[in-house]
Amino acid sequence: MERMGGGLPRRHANSPNPANSNNSGDGHAVGNTSNPANATGSTGNNTAQSTHRPVVRVQDQHMPIANVVRIMRRVLPPHAKITEAAKETVQECVSEYIAFITAEANQRSQREQRKTVSAEDIIWAMSKLGFENYVDPLNVFLHRYRESENSDRSQFMKREHPLMDYGPAVPSGPAGPQVAMMPPPLLPHFVPEFPLGFEQRGPPMLDPSMIEIFLDGGSSTGAAEGGSSSSFGAQDKNWLGGFDPSAQSK
Amino acid sequence: MRQPGRYSRLMMCGGIMGRSGPHSLPLARIKKIMKNSGEDVKMISGEAPIVFSKACELFIEELTRRSWMTTQQGKRRTLHKEDIESAVVGTDIFDFLVSLVSDSCKSEDIITPVGIETLDES
Repeated sequence: MERMGGGLPRRHANSPNPANSNNSGDGHAVGNTSNPANATGSTGNNTAQSTHRPVVRVQDQHMPIANVVRIMRRVLPPHAKITEAAKETVQECVSEYIAFITAEANQRSQREQRKTVSAEDIIWAMSKLGFENYVDPLNVFLHRYRESENSDRSQFMKREHPLMDYGPAVPSGPAGPQVAMMPPPLLPHFVPEFPLGFEQRGPPMLDPSMIEIFLDGGSSTGAAEGGSSSSFGAQDKNWLGGFDPSAQSK
Repeated sequence: MRQPGRYSRLMMCGGIMGRSGPHSLPLARIKKIMKNSGEDVKMISGEAPIVFSKACELFIEELTRRSWMTTQQGKRRTLHKEDIESAVVGTDIFDFLVSLVSDSCKSEDIITPVGIETLDES
């Protein structure tokens, strides 16, 4: 087992932060789990169990520390200082958080016999694990992201009715407005699964959220995803006006 | 410098306006951590890391805010690891972090890249 004693130089080998990976390659060891509930610690790439623990670089296992610190400083007064140890601790906590939520979200997707962990699974898991305060901002964020993805393709499908008005035939999620005019049976033919990537260049005129929904075999409906869709209350035209950021509970 | 609000910042950082424009946190790294969460995570939707990039921001902000409260109570201006530990212990939803922060505090010179699991035999 590799331990990085002290490890300051390595931990602060701040990898440049492009939007994409700067890692040393997937051939490298995949780290063990940081999820306390899971004792196996092996992943698809790494079958090492007890004898051989491949090296995992610290910086591959966490968010870049500069990004973490930048976010921390948003909520700190300008004169505040942060110790290096504190920065590293937050960095580790973030990774733990991701693993914690992902584990729950993954269980849900498996329970529902889906192969892909969706954004809705993530948001649902957060709600289940006590992070309900995040659900609304995340739904808004996701909605706006999907809107921006679709705005390049087509504007004519937008509707202005609240999502909750849609009947069961219409898939759930913020994609509702765009989906309403699409004939559902066509979608599965266009939809690839995204194995490891997060390419959002889906088929034209398709909303990314529909991809996961129809990968589910159509089993996900507004009711099934009610946890996230029901909490989504923002509308296209007044999503910003309708939200008071300072009202988000801390 | 004017601090953008939480939502207008979405526009400014390009995370929304761009196709998969720059987010505050690297998506590939998030995806890697998700894959390594050890729960036999097979496939991850393209949007999941994007949601996480936002969620992690919220998480970091909350953790920092709570930690800073402890710092202020101690009439200090420097945020220490112990402040973070205090925030973790004092917040129910951060229970999953308790062993992580207390282990780090006990063995400060050992930084393991694989999270708490490798510490449990120590």
